[in-house]
Amino acid sequence: MSRVLGQYLALTRRSLFNTLRTPIAIFPIIGFPLLLLSMTSAAMERSTSLPGFPPVDSFLQFMVATTVIQGAMFGAIAGGAGIASDIEGGFFERLIATPVSRTAIIIGRVASVATMAFFQALVFIGVTVIFGMRPEGGVIGTLMVAAIAALTAAGIGSIAVAFGLRTGSTEAVQGSFPLLFAGLFMSSAFFPRTLMTGWFKTVADWNPLSYLIENTRSQIIFGVSWGDFFTALGIAAGILVVGTLFANLALRGRLAEGA
Amino acid sequence: MSTLAVATGIAGRSLRLIPRVPSTFIPSVVMPIFLTIAFSGPFANLVRLPGFPAEKIIDWIIPMTMIQGGMFAGITTGMGVARDFENGFYDRFLMSPASRMSLLFGPLLAAMLRAFIPFVILLGIAWASGANFYAGLMGIGTLAIAVLGCAVAAGAWAMGLALRFKTFQIAPLMQAGVFLSVFTSTAQMPLDLLTGWVHEVARVNPMTNVLALARQGFLGDVTWGGTWPGLVALTGLIGVLLFFAYRGMQKVIP
Repeated sequence: MSRVLGQYLALTRRSLFNTLRTPIAIFPIIGFPLLLLSMTSAAMERSTSLPGFPPVDSFLQFMVATTVIQGAMFGAIAGGAGIASDIEGGFFERLIATPVSRTAIIIGRVASVATMAFFQALVFIGVTVIFGMRPEGGVIGTLMVAAIAALTAAGIGSIAVAFGLRTGSTEAVQGSFPLLFAGLFMSSAFFPRTLMTGWFKTVADWNPLSYLIENTRSQIIFGVSWGDFFTALGIAAGILVVGTLFANLALRGRLAEGA
Repeated sequence: MSTLAVATGIAGRSLRLIPRVPSTFIPSVVMPIFLTIAFSGPFANLVRLPGFPAEKIIDWIIPMTMIQGGMFAGITTGMGVARDFENGFYDRFLMSPASRMSLLFGPLLAAMLRAFIPFVILLGIAWASGANFYAGLMGIGTLAIAVLGCAVAAGAWAMGLALRFKTFQIAPLMQAGVFLSVFTSTAQMPLDLLTGWVHEVARVNPMTNVLALARQGFLGDVTWGGTWPGLVALTGLIGVLLFFAYRGMQKVIP
């Protein structure tokens, strides 16, 4: 048992260090979401005065939960691309030639994106606090948001890993990014559902990402709410279950092909 | 062969690549359609803000996404040059007696022609979504000038980068330049409703005037006062970026 745990930790550490050692890989997962947050919050600030907009101090306060989830998604895609890069570079082939636990290959990668997302969330909230954003949930609420981000990253990361294992192509994994971005746009990530109309509102109402983000956002704009926290965790856990299933199938497929 | 004939030949080659390698062109059509949905859907109620100049959000958003489509089309030609460098095809161009100006203007001509495709598709989407064509053909004309001009500007920017870095890996920087230039202007909100640093940048960003040129037919009549600042901004933008591409070309001439 401890031997398998050691393998999980070793592969998690390897994935994490691979990301941290490449500064150019840090920008898309931290710099880009912060840049988007900065532009959107300055552009959309006046919209908070619209009747029906949730009671927020600023658009920055409204948007920070979106940035946290967005950052988690970017990191998750990078995780999927990482395993594809291992396949392209031949590391995966060497790895499966060793007696390493097969589940460690998936868990190591997923755990690293989850760890990364947890600290990313703290960075995002920390930076916005410097710019005057006040998280109503305080330290507890912030840690809850980071925990949701970690589980979301694990869920999306496992789907990205499945895709990486299936295609073995970093380009293909990164090419799936617009799909995620589209999913995010078709939710209440950038604007409240109360101010949406027509078919777009219907799509946002059915999109689980709307509820994931709204229940994360509530920790920041209303304060600590255990009910909202567990709802968000439940959605993220659902994504993780589906993603892990796909990742296992993809791993089995690749092993059957002889990598 | 004359410069024009070579430039036309290069532009024709770029257009023939569309059916052969559709993956290099499809994003320039899909992305602006996606942006149209992504921005006009959730932000439909922004028009209720006091001072918002559009009656419907589609009137405000679609000229911006059309410009994005034109710029993406411009970028794809720059990406084509980068790919030609990677597979050695561009070296054959450089060894040929073709005028260097034709190597510069060929892809830019292609950028304009490629931009026409998303422009026409988005015009259809605007019509189907009930956008207000207040100024009729005059409005479509000023919009076309803005879109095709932006395609040339983005093409020159992407070519300048491709000629300097000679690798396809520079593509994200090509896209980032376009993205930043548009979203630090009045892409989402009118200037008076912007706040903070984006307001300050948008005030001096030439894209603000280019967007005003593109939008005027959707917001009311086309006037000379609403046209000339956009034309000046567009001419300046194209001039500077053409010089950037020209200097890049000088660096690769053996």
